[in-house]
Amino acid sequence: MTNDVLPQQPTYYEEVQRKGYSRRDFVKFVSMMTAFIGLEQSAIGQVTKALETQPRLPVIWLHFQECTCCSESFIRSSHPIVADILLDKISLDYTETLMAASGTQAEDALKNTMTKYKGKYILCVEGSVPLGADGVYCMIGGKTSLQILEEVSEGAAAIIAWGSCASNGCVQSAKPNPTGATPIHKIIKNKPIIKVPGCPPIGEVMAGVIVHYLTFGRIPELDRLGRPKAFYSKRVHDSCYRRPYYDAGLFVETFDDENAKKGYCLYKVGCKGPSTYNACGVTKWNGGTSFPIQSGHPCIGCSEENFWDNGRFYERGSAFAGFGIESDADTLGKIALVGTGVAIAGHAIATNIGKSTLIHKHEEEGKLSEHELES
Amino acid sequence: MAKKYLHIHRLRRVYVWELPVRFYHWLNAGVIIALIITGFYIANPLALLSNQEAANRYTMGWFRYIHFAAAYLFFFNFLFRLYWGFVGNKYANWKQFIPTSRRFFSEMWKVFKIDILMLRKNGKQQDHLSVGHNAMAGFIYFLTFFAFLIQCLTGFGLYASMSGWWFPKLFAWVPAVFGGDILTRQIHHWSMWFFILFAVIHVYLVFYHDYVEGRGEISSMGGGWKFIEEDVFEQNKHQTPNPEKK
Amino acid sequence: MSKRIVVDPITRIEGHLRIEADIENGKIKDAFSSGTMVRLLEEILRGRDPKDAWAFVGRVCGVCTSIHSLTSVRCVEDALDIVVPPNAELVRNIMFCTQYIHDHVVHFYHLHAMDWVDVVNALKADPKKTSELAQSISKWPKSSPGYFSDIQTRIKKFVDSGQLGIFSNGYWGHPAYKLPAEVNLIGLAHYLEALEWQKEIVKVHAIFGGKNPHPNYLVGGMACAISIDDVSGLNAERLAHVGQLLKQGKEFVEQVYIPDLMAIASFYKDWGAIGGGLGNYLVYGDLPTNGYRDMSSYKFPAGAILNKDITKLYDVDLKKEDEVQEFITHSWYEYKEGDAKGLHPWKGESKVKYTGPKPPFEHLETDHKYSYLKTPRWKGNAMEVGPLARVLVGYARGREDFKAVVDKALKDLNVPVAALFSTLGRTAARGLESILTAQWGIEFYDQLLANIKNGDTRMAEMSKFDPATWPKTALGVGHTEAPRGALAHWINIEDQKIANYQLVVPTTWNASPRDHKGQMSAYEASLIDTPVADEKQPLEILRTIHSFDPCMACSVHLYDEEGKTISRFNVLGD
Repeated sequence: MTNDVLPQQPTYYEEVQRKGYSRRDFVKFVSMMTAFIGLEQSAIGQVTKALETQPRLPVIWLHFQECTCCSESFIRSSHPIVADILLDKISLDYTETLMAASGTQAEDALKNTMTKYKGKYILCVEGSVPLGADGVYCMIGGKTSLQILEEVSEGAAAIIAWGSCASNGCVQSAKPNPTGATPIHKIIKNKPIIKVPGCPPIGEVMAGVIVHYLTFGRIPELDRLGRPKAFYSKRVHDSCYRRPYYDAGLFVETFDDENAKKGYCLYKVGCKGPSTYNACGVTKWNGGTSFPIQSGHPCIGCSEENFWDNGRFYERGSAFAGFGIESDADTLGKIALVGTGVAIAGHAIATNIGKSTLIHKHEEEGKLSEHELES
Repeated sequence: MAKKYLHIHRLRRVYVWELPVRFYHWLNAGVIIALIITGFYIANPLALLSNQEAANRYTMGWFRYIHFAAAYLFFFNFLFRLYWGFVGNKYANWKQFIPTSRRFFSEMWKVFKIDILMLRKNGKQQDHLSVGHNAMAGFIYFLTFFAFLIQCLTGFGLYASMSGWWFPKLFAWVPAVFGGDILTRQIHHWSMWFFILFAVIHVYLVFYHDYVEGRGEISSMGGGWKFIEEDVFEQNKHQTPNPEKK
Repeated sequence: MSKRIVVDPITRIEGHLRIEADIENGKIKDAFSSGTMVRLLEEILRGRDPKDAWAFVGRVCGVCTSIHSLTSVRCVEDALDIVVPPNAELVRNIMFCTQYIHDHVVHFYHLHAMDWVDVVNALKADPKKTSELAQSISKWPKSSPGYFSDIQTRIKKFVDSGQLGIFSNGYWGHPAYKLPAEVNLIGLAHYLEALEWQKEIVKVHAIFGGKNPHPNYLVGGMACAISIDDVSGLNAERLAHVGQLLKQGKEFVEQVYIPDLMAIASFYKDWGAIGGGLGNYLVYGDLPTNGYRDMSSYKFPAGAILNKDITKLYDVDLKKEDEVQEFITHSWYEYKEGDAKGLHPWKGESKVKYTGPKPPFEHLETDHKYSYLKTPRWKGNAMEVGPLARVLVGYARGREDFKAVVDKALKDLNVPVAALFSTLGRTAARGLESILTAQWGIEFYDQLLANIKNGDTRMAEMSKFDPATWPKTALGVGHTEAPRGALAHWINIEDQKIANYQLVVPTTWNASPRDHKGQMSAYEASLIDTPVADEKQPLEILRTIHSFDPCMACSVHLYDEEGKTISRFNVLGD
C-alpha cells in the first residue's frame, strides 16, 4: 500500500549482517555474484562497495525505437506495485516516460548517475537501435540512439533488454526492416544482457526480473536465448488451460462459432502458443485477470523472435518469407508434387520412346526364352 | 528375324541388399509414412464434431504419440543404417554415397545422360547398368541423409522442452540456433515435403529400372537378390564406386 | 536579441520530441517542434494480410494502446464491407471509454502534474490542513490527516536518501509553481494512488482483449465469445468484473481526478490566457450508438471549427482529395513534384531523406527541414486535434451532455468561455471528457447486458474472414478519436494483400513542422508568447507541450530503401 511507512532501508551489507553472516561470507557471495553477472574479477571491489553502500539500486531506462508499451506494462505490475518499486527498491534516475526533468536537466540526471554509480547501475533499454543511415532515425538530445547506448552501457553492471524491440527488434525490424532496427545484444557484446521479450512483456514479469535481482542478489538464470528461465522456460501451449482440448482434438474452427463459445483450443485459428515461450498461461496479464487465449484470441507469439514475419496470425500454415502471404509451405509443396508428377509422366513417356529399342529387345528376349521353354 | 540381333543375356544372381538393409528400408518406409500422416494432422487437424468431454478424448494426443514414437524409431533406425554403412557389404558401404572420386562424378554424369536425358551414343540407345546403387542414386541418398539429419535435429529440438528424458534434451540447442520454436517448426514442416517428393520419385524410378532393365529391381528389396548381366558382373567384379588410387 | 533554447528530450511524453524556441524579453518569439524518431511501419505493412494489420499498427503506440488497432479493424471492415454485430461495437466502445479514462488520468497525474505540482514543496504541507482541504473538495475516502502524513513521511525518507529517482533534477522551487503546499501534497498523494488505480481499470481490456497494453482486436468483431453458460466465454462473472471496474473508474474520475483538476486549475487561471495557439479545431467523431457508419449516432460528434468561431461548424470528409493533405516543406522527406505541393494521403508519396545536421549536434537547421513528421492540413488550414477540439465541437453542436460539464467547469472556475482556448483549456477539456466517457462506458455496458439478456450473443461477423470472399481491390478508411485527437487509417487492398496503408495521426496534426506557406502547427503556434521566467528551466514550455499529451512514436513515415518513388504509401504521426 502506498501509505505504509517503511522502516529505514538497510543496505545489502547491513541486511546480510543482520542475518548473521560474516563479512567474509559477504565478500564470497559478492565474488560469486560478480562472476555470475559476467564481470571481471577486478570489479568485485566495486560490486562489494555497491551492495554495502547502495540502499537503492540505480537504474537508467533508455527509450529508443519503441512505442512505450513496455513502460506502460511495467506500471501495470500488481506485485510489487510500481510505486513501491520506484520509492523503495530502485532509484529510477532516468526514464523519459516518468521523470520530472526534461532537456538539460534530464541529461544531467543521466550523467550524474553514470559517473556516480559507474559500474553499478542497471541499464534498462526499451526499444531497438536503428543502424540505418548512420543512426539518424532515432535521435535524442542531438545524439543518435547508438551513440547514447554505447556511452551509457559502458558503465552498466548489467543490461535488461525490455520487450521484443530491445530483445529481437520487434515490429520495426519486420521485413524489410527499413531503418535497420537492431536489438541490443547485437550491438553490446561485453555486458551481461537479460532479454525480457514480449510485446510488451507481462508487467509482473518485468517487475519480477528486477525483484529477482534485488532479492537473490544476482541476475536470474538465463536460457540459451538469454531469457530468464523463471518466466520463459515453458511454452504458452504447455501451460494453457485449453490444452486438454488440443490433446482431445477439439478445436475452434472460426471465431464466435459453437466451439469458440465452448472454449475449445484455438490452434486451428492460428494460435502460436505451441511455439511461444512466455508466462502468459501461468502468470496471466494485468494482475492475473486474463490472457489472450482466455479471452478467445489466439496467441500471436509476441515474445518470439521475428514473430511478425513467421506466418500470418490467423493461420497455422508456415509462410515462406519473401514469397508473398499465399505461399505457405504446403501450397508450394503441392505445386512441387504436381510438378514432380508431370515430370514423371513425361519421363515415362520419353522412356517408352527413347528406349523403345531396348525395351523391345528385352521383350523379344523374354518371348524367345518363353518360346524355348515351350518347345 | 528377331534372333538376328538378339543376344540372350546370361544373368547372375547377386545378393545385393542384406537383410539388415532390407529391414532398415521397410521400417524406414513405414515410419516415414506414419510421420507424414501424423505430421499433417498435427499441423492441420481435422474438424471433429463431438459432444464428448475433452477429458474423454485423446485424438491429438494419440497422433502426437504416434509421431513421437515413430520419430524415435526413425532416428535409431537411421543410426543403425549409418553403422551398417561401415560393416555391411560393399553395396551398403558409405562410399556408395559420398562422392570422393572423379569416377564417382563421371558415373553420375553418365547416369544423368542416359537415364534422365536419354541421350544416345553413336545413334544407339543404351542402358547404364550398375549392381547396387548407381552413383546418382547414391548421391541423392547422401542428400536424404542430410534431410534425415535436419528432421531429427529440428524434431527433437522442438520435443526437447516437453521431455523429461536426457536424450531429447541433447537437442535443446537447436531452436536457440533458429531464434525460437517458430522457425524451427517451419523448417521441420518444409523439410517434410522433401520426403514426400523423394518417395514419389523413388517409387517411380524403381518401377522404371525394373521395367527398362528387367533385373528384378522391385523384388530386390524383398529378397535381396538382383539379376546381373554376365558382362556387367565381370566389369564390376573388381570395382567399387570409389576405388583406391591405383 | 532573441536567444535559442533547446529542450530535448521532452520527457513525460510518449516517444522522442525536441523543442527549440527563441526567447526574447522573457517570452517565446518563435518555436520549432521536431519529431526525432522514425520506424517506417507503412513500408513493413505492404504485402501483408489486412486481417493482421491491427497488430502491426497497434504497435505504433503503447500509451494510446488499442486505439490504432480499433482504427485498423474499422478500416479493413470498411474496405470489405463488413458490419460488426452490435455486441462487438459495444465491447469496442467500452474498451474505448476505458482507454480514455486510463489515458487521461495517467496523463494528468504522471505526465502532466509535475508541471503544476511541486513535489518537494509538498513536504512542507500540514497534513491536517491537507485533510480538511481534501474533504472539502471531494468525498474520496482516503483523506484522513494520518493518510497524508504517512505519504509525507514516506516521501521525506525518499528525498532524504539523496536518491531522487524519477524526481531528480525537477524544476522544484521554480517561481511558476504557485500551489499551496497542501494542494501539492494532495497532488503527490494522488500521483501514487493513480499509479495504483490505473493498473486496475485496464483489466477491462484484459477481459475483452486478453491483455493490456496491446489488447487483441479482430476484423469482423471481437474474439471474446459470449457464452453465459460456459466458463471460457464472457459469462456473468466476467461481465460483473467489467461492471465493477467501470464503476470504480467513474468514481476515481469524479472523486479524485476532477476535484484535483479543478483545485489545481483555480491557482493557474492565468494559463487560461496562455498557449491558445491556432484556434482551429478538427474532430472525426467516435463512439457509435447505431453502427459505425451512422456518424450522426456518435457520442463524440464530428466537425471542424475555424478561428475559434464555435457558432460555425464545418463537415469533414476524409475521402475528399482537397480536404486532408500533407506537406513536407520542413520534413525530412522528398516529393516528386517538389517540396511545396500538398498531397492527399491516397495520392501521397513518401521518401525519407534526412538532411539535418550530423549527430551529435547542437541545433537543428530550422530554416530548412527539421522533423520526421509530415505536416497535415485541412483545406489548407493548420488544425488542432485532441480533447479540447472534441469538447468544443460537442459544445458547438449544442449537445446537452457537453454543455452541462463545460458550463459547470467554467462557472466553478469563474472564467469565460474564451479561457477554453488555452493551455489550461486543453488540460481541463481532458478532464471534462473523462467525466463523459466514464459515464458512457457504463451506458454501453448496460446495453451489452441488455442485448445478451435479449438473446443476442453474436460477437463476430465471420462470413468475410476468408480472403477468397474478398473483391480483387478494395479501398477503406477507418477513423476514430484517439485520446490525443482525430486519427484515421487508409487502406488499399489488392489481391488480398495490403497494397497501401496510411495513418494520419493526432500528434502529426499538432506537432508537425510548419507548412509551405510558413503556417505553424499547433505546438509551435501555442508556444508563441508563452512567458519563460528562467531560460535554464523552461517549465512553461513543458506545461503547454504537455497540455497536448504528445505521442511521438506514431510519427512514422514511409521509407523506400532503393530510393525509388512509391506513390501509394504514406503516413502522418499520432
